Amino acid sequence: MPALSLQSLARAASVPAGGTAMPLEDIHGIAAITGVGETAVSGPSGRDPRQMALQAVAAAIADAGLQPQDIDGLMVSGHIADQITPEDFHRYFGTRGPLWFSTDGGAMIWAATCAHQAALAMRTGRARHIVNVFAVDWATRRAAGTGTPGDWHAGEEMKALFEVPLGWYPQPVYFATFARRYMHEYDLTEAQLAAIPLTFRRHANGHPGAVMRDRALTLEDYLARPALASPLRREDCCLISDGAAAWVMSPAERAADMPQIPINIDGVGHGRIASAPYISQQLDLTSTPQVFAAPWAYAMAGTAPAEVDVIAVYDCFSSTALMQIEDLGFCRKGDGGSFVQEDRLYYERTRRQGGIPCNTHGGLLSHGYLLGASHVVELVRQLRGSAANQVTEAQRAVYAGFTADEAATLVLSRRCA
Amino acid sequence: MNLPDLDHPLAGPFWAAVSRKELQVPWCAACDRAVWYPRPHCPHCQGDLHWRRLSGEASLISWCEVTGGLNPHFREAYTCALVSPLESPDIRIVMRVTQNPASSLRCDMPGRVDFIPVQQIGGTPYMAPAFTPYSGF
Repeated sequence: MPALSLQSLARAASVPAGGTAMPLEDIHGIAAITGVGETAVSGPSGRDPRQMALQAVAAAIADAGLQPQDIDGLMVSGHIADQITPEDFHRYFGTRGPLWFSTDGGAMIWAATCAHQAALAMRTGRARHIVNVFAVDWATRRAAGTGTPGDWHAGEEMKALFEVPLGWYPQPVYFATFARRYMHEYDLTEAQLAAIPLTFRRHANGHPGAVMRDRALTLEDYLARPALASPLRREDCCLISDGAAAWVMSPAERAADMPQIPINIDGVGHGRIASAPYISQQLDLTSTPQVFAAPWAYAMAGTAPAEVDVIAVYDCFSSTALMQIEDLGFCRKGDGGSFVQEDRLYYERTRRQGGIPCNTHGGLLSHGYLLGASHVVELVRQLRGSAANQVTEAQRAVYAGFTADEAATLVLSRRCA
Repeated sequence: MNLPDLDHPLAGPFWAAVSRKELQVPWCAACDRAVWYPRPHCPHCQGDLHWRRLSGEASLISWCEVTGGLNPHFREAYTCALVSPLESPDIRIVMRVTQNPASSLRCDMPGRVDFIPVQQIGGTPYMAPAFTPYSGF
């Protein structure tokens, strides 16, 4: 299929008021994910983030059937401290070749948009085998009092001037406020919202790498727990973890000859609210910028929600997962509370059975807080057919990344594009 | 700790007004609307802004009861909210809520802006705008 023009993508991907879609050029068919790797995900471990990153990279390279010297591109986060550099890579692996380097990688929205950057780098001949890696040690940092996920928000000028002094901080407070508004507009109940943490916990209970693998959670347990930031309980909030995850992206024509089933990168979308970075001022408090990102990714991939078998959404909070499931197009806005009942997010209930398996590794709520990097690794395993909670005949997957004021969408498939 | 900054060029007038128990926001006369968060000029027409005192009539867009200890800056539980002033309902100002616990609150209820003292851990007290629902709603 020939590449679509920006004009035709924009036409196919119309978005509601209140934000915009970035004009990402069509990259479908260029690249595939050919290897994945990760470290253990844990609570406070004292592990060095660079060491974790290098271990995840080594595992991903081995999984792809490559040697370290085959890697000529490296993508890391430019937004989270202590990521690896090309020098770290060369020192660890004893390599010396040229290494295309980008800080537009990592997790959150970049776990989606890195695939676009990587495909462009391949198309222009800057790199062939590109590894994206993300490492975090926030569990260790929080235990040591040396940093929290709220630091960026506390340091942003207008938030520091007008939000922090009044107590609208940290993130659970933001998303609890939005969840309360959602409950008002759409009659969502706390028992309905519980389906998200409960389903993700059941997935974690079946996933050997999940932090909460041994911890069951019932509806009675959930409802008996006190609110942390009403209406959200601790079980509605992501874990704080140490760990790293990585994946190798390769040109599609080479991927066909590599040992793993190639996972095609079919579409990428990236959206932003008009009031960014101020989510308190976004036009619709009950939706996410996924409404601006997802249509572009579907248009690029030439697909639609009805053709997606498994999803992984950035579940920093249960309510943000609920909104993104709607904003990705799996049910109408406001219907999410009833849609997520009856095991519709559970891995055994396939699309054919009216479900949409979601966060089958346990997500940020119950697998670990790798900010979405583990979500992409999980989707690759689903499409390969090697996941712990394997969705029957999973052919196409969507990752929904999120920073609050921005969102990004990545469409993957195991069919020939 | 982020205390109110009375000397900040964009935020100082807001906090100075709050310390006098007044609510003021930057206003674009040409567009007849508030510009929030404050900017040097109106983002719609690039025109000059002036600080306008508002009536304090407002509606509660949403709120959150925060457990003590969740926010590292405050020891006690409290309720904070997004509040839209009557004169410019397109903006949302972060405020406290005078009612805590917040069991009788509901979204879109009308009320007025009062001012209450708040204090961060290790800091001096300062005035904060606080939404008070009208009785009978």
